[in-house]
Parts: sequence; structure tokens; C-alpha cells
Amino acid sequence: MNPSDDAGRSGVSRRSVLGGGAAVAVAVPLAAGGAQAAPAAEAASVEPVTVKVTVNGEPVTVRVDPRVTLLDTLREELALTGTKKGCDRGQCGACTVHVDGRRVLSCLTLAVTVDKREVTTIEGLARGDRLHPMQQAFIERDGLQCGFCTPGQVMSAVGMVQEGHARSDDEIRERMSGNICRCGCYPSIVAAISDAQKVMR
Amino acid sequence: MTVSPVGRDIDRIDGRAKVTGAARYSADYPASNPAVQPAHAYLVTSTIARGSITAMDTVAAQNAPGVIQVYSPFNRLGLRAVPGAGENYAPLEDTQIRFRGQIIAMVVAERSEQARDAARLVRTSYDEQPPRLSLADEPRVPATGPPGVPAPSSTVLAPGVPSIEAALAASAVVVEASFHQPMQHPVAMEPHSVLAEWNSDQTQLTLHSGAQLPHTSAMVAAMRLGVAPAAVRLIAPYVGGGFGSRVFPWFDAALAAAAARQLNRPVMLVLAREQVFTVVGHRSAVDQRITLGASRDGVLNAVRHVSDAAVPFVGYRWMQPAVDTSAVLYKIPNVEFDQRHVMLDVPPTCAMRAPNEAPGAFALETAMDELAVATGLDPVALRLRNYATVAPGTDRGWSSKHLDDCYRIGARRFGWSARRATPRSRVDGQWLVGMGMASAIYPGGRRPEPIQARIQLRDDDTALVSSATADTGTGATTLLAITGAHGLGIPLRRVSSEAGDTALPQGAPSVGSTAAASTVPAVEAAVTAVVAALIQEAVTNPQSPWHGTDSGDLTYVNGQLRGAGRAMPFGRLLTTIGRRSVEATATAQPGPEVAGYHFHSFGAHFCEVRVNRHTGEPRVTRFTTVVDAGRIVNAQAARSQLVGGVIFGIGHALLEDNPLELDTGRLAAGNLADYMVPVNADIPDIDIHFLDRPDPVVNNLGARGLGELGTVGSAAAVGNAIYNATGKRIRDLPITLDKLL
Repeated sequence: MNPSDDAGRSGVSRRSVLGGGAAVAVAVPLAAGGAQAAPAAEAASVEPVTVKVTVNGEPVTVRVDPRVTLLDTLREELALTGTKKGCDRGQCGACTVHVDGRRVLSCLTLAVTVDKREVTTIEGLARGDRLHPMQQAFIERDGLQCGFCTPGQVMSAVGMVQEGHARSDDEIRERMSGNICRCGCYPSIVAAISDAQKVMR
Repeated sequence: MTVSPVGRDIDRIDGRAKVTGAARYSADYPASNPAVQPAHAYLVTSTIARGSITAMDTVAAQNAPGVIQVYSPFNRLGLRAVPGAGENYAPLEDTQIRFRGQIIAMVVAERSEQARDAARLVRTSYDEQPPRLSLADEPRVPATGPPGVPAPSSTVLAPGVPSIEAALAASAVVVEASFHQPMQHPVAMEPHSVLAEWNSDQTQLTLHSGAQLPHTSAMVAAMRLGVAPAAVRLIAPYVGGGFGSRVFPWFDAALAAAAARQLNRPVMLVLAREQVFTVVGHRSAVDQRITLGASRDGVLNAVRHVSDAAVPFVGYRWMQPAVDTSAVLYKIPNVEFDQRHVMLDVPPTCAMRAPNEAPGAFALETAMDELAVATGLDPVALRLRNYATVAPGTDRGWSSKHLDDCYRIGARRFGWSARRATPRSRVDGQWLVGMGMASAIYPGGRRPEPIQARIQLRDDDTALVSSATADTGTGATTLLAITGAHGLGIPLRRVSSEAGDTALPQGAPSVGSTAAASTVPAVEAAVTAVVAALIQEAVTNPQSPWHGTDSGDLTYVNGQLRGAGRAMPFGRLLTTIGRRSVEATATAQPGPEVAGYHFHSFGAHFCEVRVNRHTGEPRVTRFTTVVDAGRIVNAQAARSQLVGGVIFGIGHALLEDNPLELDTGRLAAGNLADYMVPVNADIPDIDIHFLDRPDPVVNNLGARGLGELGTVGSAAAVGNAIYNATGKRIRDLPITLDKLL
């Protein structure tokens, strides 16, 4: 529950280790009274990295901390907030985007890894006012309720159809099971994907 | 003639925004001044369940890159507890630890990753005390809870019956069963998030924070901050799921707002998913015992329903699972409830979807299945034999009740007659196939308090319907437009709607399946009021062709004013008189017409499962639910609500569990891999059928609530089907494969 759970009693966190060797992996003796001592090394500043990436067809250059995820970069640097953070650890699928046409979890993708690649988010799916067939099908089949997981569902569904993996309802169910919908729209989502893939062919 | 949209499959009015990413949830808002970047906050939570903080070292965090401030009990924000509205304490105001996962510090930094990084550097030492965590061992507190009908502990006996024990002893068949359910989490997909922003002189606060009750959430936040309720505006038209987790605000909103006030800068706080499991409430664990007494031919004579529900010392909700299940579902002359609570050092509880009814119906409807076995009756026949037309111990009937047809129609749609009563009698390859059913019942009436709506008619012949209800995915915003179009008699495409903003008239809370039934009359009242305002303009405005006409000579029909030999659409009238729009706000509240009735919605669930003979894996393969919820306003959204409710029940039956470590207070699951909710591959097609018979009492349209109904009884239908498939009766949820081997 607590960030310090993960840091462990050594006072070294996974994050500070990832920070580029500034952290020192030594055990810090516990202070009197059982208090956990402050870590020997403080979180260090890290030199930003330049990333040139095409986002929804537009070339973009961003300077990012190398530890920052694609999800946080999209939301906080590029103001593309259609991509959602549901869990930030690859378990819910709400952050699904396409990188070079393949679906990826942007919360598990470091922004630096998309240098010179093409990223498509939910904002880049429609052509002007014309919705992508998958978006249209989600509306018509009511494949959404609260709508928070919907961008990830739609991006995952488009990716799956493009990969040629939506041949039956059972296959759709299986391959869409990385996208959690707590409102419980699964049957409508299956119906929407089934409709849309006929138009997408 | 305009065709009313009521009852049809209407696409969500906000569907386009939701499928394009344009819909803004709380964490998606920028600061109102684009030149100002919000500061980002991150919480630190306790790693013990009970005790106190003796020291906290925040120096490293304070010195970390980008950090602006670290708040803690040693650098307080001055929040106030508001007992009765959520938790009974204010975080960071004292050093006491009340549960594991309690907020103990908040780091504010320039960037979100800096705040998260620095939060790891806070070091805390505790004086730890043994936590009280065992539902089975801690003392039971007799029921003295809020007054209700029936009282939390009450006994109703037929004339001449001395006690419930005597009634049970006189019953030819007695079934007694004990049930255990672990804690469950709402797991709304949007983690609780807030953007808090004050105006320059700090007299007005804007909160973007998902709320099921926008006005109440704003008021509670104001009280915690020590400001007037009018100083807080909450704007959250898009809410990423409620399920009871956004009834009262948690302390995220007040913490972010207090920091924003101190720092004179907007503050964004987004809970990490693992924090949602403890900072936000859950459905408590509960133990229940049900005793049913009946004649040999299955006529119920007595029920005793005992529950021990975990209640956190920090508040706020005490589950009473017999209410609205055993108290109302069947015709039973002798009933006794003993609904006790057990105080524990656990995170707060909340009114998770069908808060009393989902656990209560799991127990009662499983016990009824056991009674069907004991009496040799078909489960549907048993329920029809004990059909209630008045609530037990009263002469109070229902505004409208067609549950009997739900059973019959459901049985036919599902193919119930193919069921074999003997368990393990249907085998298909490696699968044991079984069928089960259960009833659903949930209150479906209106809120008692006044509910408001506003309608604006515009000179382009469009209308805007506004009400600060909340759309948590229910389709409430779409329902506003449908009801407005219906009342105004104009096409739906000419009606827009807005909700989720406390600047709008106070609308129906999105709680207790009351929003639709309460919103409909408010919109009807607003239609009447705005038509009156339009006619008043027509007869008083000198530019109007009806200037000077008696208002009684004018009528409004399907978007047109008619009278004195002419007719004109309202848009043309407004254009003619040079008005952009005319609007009116109206209030609706139930009157004496609702006295003397129970208002419930009803349903019958039918479920087929397959249980693997070798691995014990249970799979739900078919599900039919037939619903009596009065008239259906939007068939498509209503179906989605029912499907979602049933899926909640399937999760309840088969997946959801969060074991509590009894010596530390640690919850085993803090993420969406360990806390399992249903995924797409767990769910078959779900067949929903609405009787769609208007309720003659609840409101003019005849529409009752249905948002929680699907969650009631669906878990029992799954469990009963598993019994039919395997012969194994599992009363300890979830029904995992190890219990079926």
C-alpha cells in the first residue's frame, strides 16, 4: 500500500536504481526506536532525452525524463488525455495505444522507446468528423457505459482486427480480455467488434 | 407527429465524446489558466493497521527534485472531520493510525513522477498496537442502527406464535445454512482523481472530482475545508464508474483543495490503483445465517436471518443484508432479523452496488434453493408458492409487481424445463452442466427530497435540459434528453442535455437506483414550467403575434404554440420577439400519492454453468434475466445496466475476494491482477428481457429504477447452477475451483 513497501528497508527504491546509478545499494542501519532511516542517496535529477515521434500523423519532439512512460508523456506533455490511466501497471488495458500499428500498453512503454516511431491514440482514430467504424459500432451497440475504459477498448479492438485475430466471438472474447470494463459491457463490446470488422475489411 | 424516444434503443448522447477520447474525466482537465501548470500530489499511506506515528522523516522527500511541499501530521492542512458523511476522522490532523493504507502524508511536486518518486523517500516510525481484524472473533455489537422499516433487529410473529423458535419448531421442513462473503471492492475504472483550483482571491474553489452526488460532494468538501458550501463548485460531467465508491467524497478532494489553497496553485491528485483499495471504501465482509421453516409442500412459515457485518472504526457504512431481501421477498408469517456489526481496524466501507441486497439475496436465494431440494419442489414453483402481495407483517402492497411473470417468462426464454433436478445428471464431455435460478428485488422508487431540472428553449428550435444528477455510466445524461424530447414533443436530435455540475439545478443523486425515477418527474415539471414561460412571453411581448391574447387561449403541442387561429414553432416565436431563449427551472417531489406503497423493481435470473470434471473450473455459459422495472425509458442503456449488474453478480459469485492478513491488517490484493473482476472471456451473451409495464404510481411515465437490480440474486443463480451441475453447495464466496474438486 505504501511506496516505502516497495523500497524495502534498505532504503533503495526500484525507481532510484532505474535512475541511472546515482543510488547506492547499501543497507542503512535502522535508527533507534525502529524508525526507518532516510536513504543514503536522494532521488537524483536525470538528464532529459529528446524523443522524435509521430503522434496521430504529426511529427512531435519532446524532451522527457528517460524514466517516464509513454502514457504520462501523452497525457501530461502532449495533452492527449483520451488515453487513460486505470492501473499504471499493465493490468487493465485502459492505456492501450498503437505503436507502428500494433497495440501496446502505454503505461508499460517508456517514452524513450518510441523514438522515430508512429504512435496512434484514440484522438487519432477518426478522420475529421467521420468516426472509425469501430468507434461507430461501439456507440451503436452501446459497448460503453462510464466510458473510462472505452479508448483502450476501441484501440485494442482495432489492433486485434488489424492483426486478423477476430475470427469468432470466442476469439474476440479471449483477445479482448486484457481490457477490463467494470461497468460490464463485454457482450456489447463483442457485438460492436463483430459489426465493425465487417466494415473494416 | 413526433415519435417519442421513450422505450426505444437510444444511443448515448455522449457516446461520441466517449469513443473519441474527447470526454474529460477529472484527471483530464487542464488548469483554467493555460499558463499555469497544476502541481501534482501523491499520497503516502500507513504500513501498520493500528497505533500511532511517533516520527516522520520527510527531509529527503522535501529535498527531492521538483518537490514543493510535503504535508503530514507534522505539517498539517487543517482539514475537518465531518461525521455522518464518510469517514469520521480527517487525515493528517493527528498521528493516530486507524487502518493499514490510511493516508499519512501527501507530497506535492511540479510533476507527477517527481511527487511519486519523493513519496517513496518519506520514512515513518510507529508505535504499533495489535489491530482488531477478525470478523469471527471480535465482539458482535447488537443492532441499534438508524431507524428503518423493519428495524435492524426485529421480530414479526403470526397471532398465537410465541417465538421464532416455536415457529421453526412447528415447521415440517427446516433448512439452516451459514454463508461467508469476503470484502469486495467497487473497482471503478477511473482511479479517484481531483483537480482543485481556487480563484485568485481564494473565495471560490472549483473541483473536478467524479461524484455520484455532485451537490453533496461539493458540500462535504466545503465542510472539510471550513468554507461555505456556495464557495465550492464541482464539475464532473464524466465519471469513470461509481458503484457506490463515489457516494461521499473521500479525502482526496479536500486534501488537494487545501494544498491548492496553501500553495496558491491548482493541485492535481490521482490515486494510484493500490491506494484506491484502502483510501476508497469497500463492501464489508459479512457472515450470515439463514433458517427457513416450511411445510412439506414448501409453504414458508418462518425465516430467521442473522448477519454479522464488519464495520470499520473509521466508518462509514454498516451493511444490513436482511433489509429488502428476507423482509420483503416472500410471503412469510413469521420473520426475525438480527443484523449485528463487528467493529474492525479496516479501511472504510461504502454502499457498493446493491449494498444490502446483493449479499442478502445471495444468502436467501441460496437457502431457497436448498429448500427446493429439501421439499423436492422445482425452484420456480417454490417461489411462486410463496409469492408475496404484501410485505410480511404488514398490509402494505406494491405500486406494481409482476415478479410472477418474470419467473414464468424467464423460465420459457431460458429453457428451464430442460433442467434435471438431480445434480450431476447432465454431462457434456469433460463438463458437468447445471442450471440455477434466483429472484432479484431492489427498491425502485423516487428520492424523498425535491429534485430540480431546468429546460431552455432556444430560437433555433432546440432545447437544453439541465440537471445536476450524475452520469456514472447509467445513461442519466441521455435520459435527461429523452425525457425532455418526450415532454416537449420534439425530435431527440433537437435536444441536448447536461449534468454533473453544481452550477446546474440540484438533480437526483446517482444512488440507490433512484436517479431515473426521480429525474423523470423533475423534467416533466420543467416542461410544464418552460411552456408556461413561453406562453407568458407570447402574450406579453409586444413583438409577438399573440400579444394581448389570453394565455388560456394558447396551447403548446409538439414544439408549436397554437391559438387564435395560428400556429408557430417556439423557435420562430423566439426569433420574432428577438429572444435567444426562454427557460424555466422546476422542482418535483413525491406527494401523498406514493403513501402506503412499497416501490421495488423485480427480476428473475436463470443461469447455466459448466464445471470442469477434472479441474473444477466453473464457467457461466448462459444467462437470462427478466426484469419488471416499470416502463423502460431507454431500452439500450437499461439493458446495459442489467447486463453490467449481472456481470457484477458473476464476479461476486466466482472471482472477487480480498483476504485480510489477520495479524497485520494488510489486504492481499492491491491491484487488478490480484483482485479479480470479470474479464471479457469470463462472460457469455446475457439475455435481458424487460416486461416494460408502466408503474401506475411511481411517476407519470411509470418508470422505476433498475441500476442495481441485476446485481441482486445473480450470484445465487450462479451458485445454484453450480450445485445442480456438481452436487456441491458452496456457501463461502467466491466459488473457486479448489472448492469444487
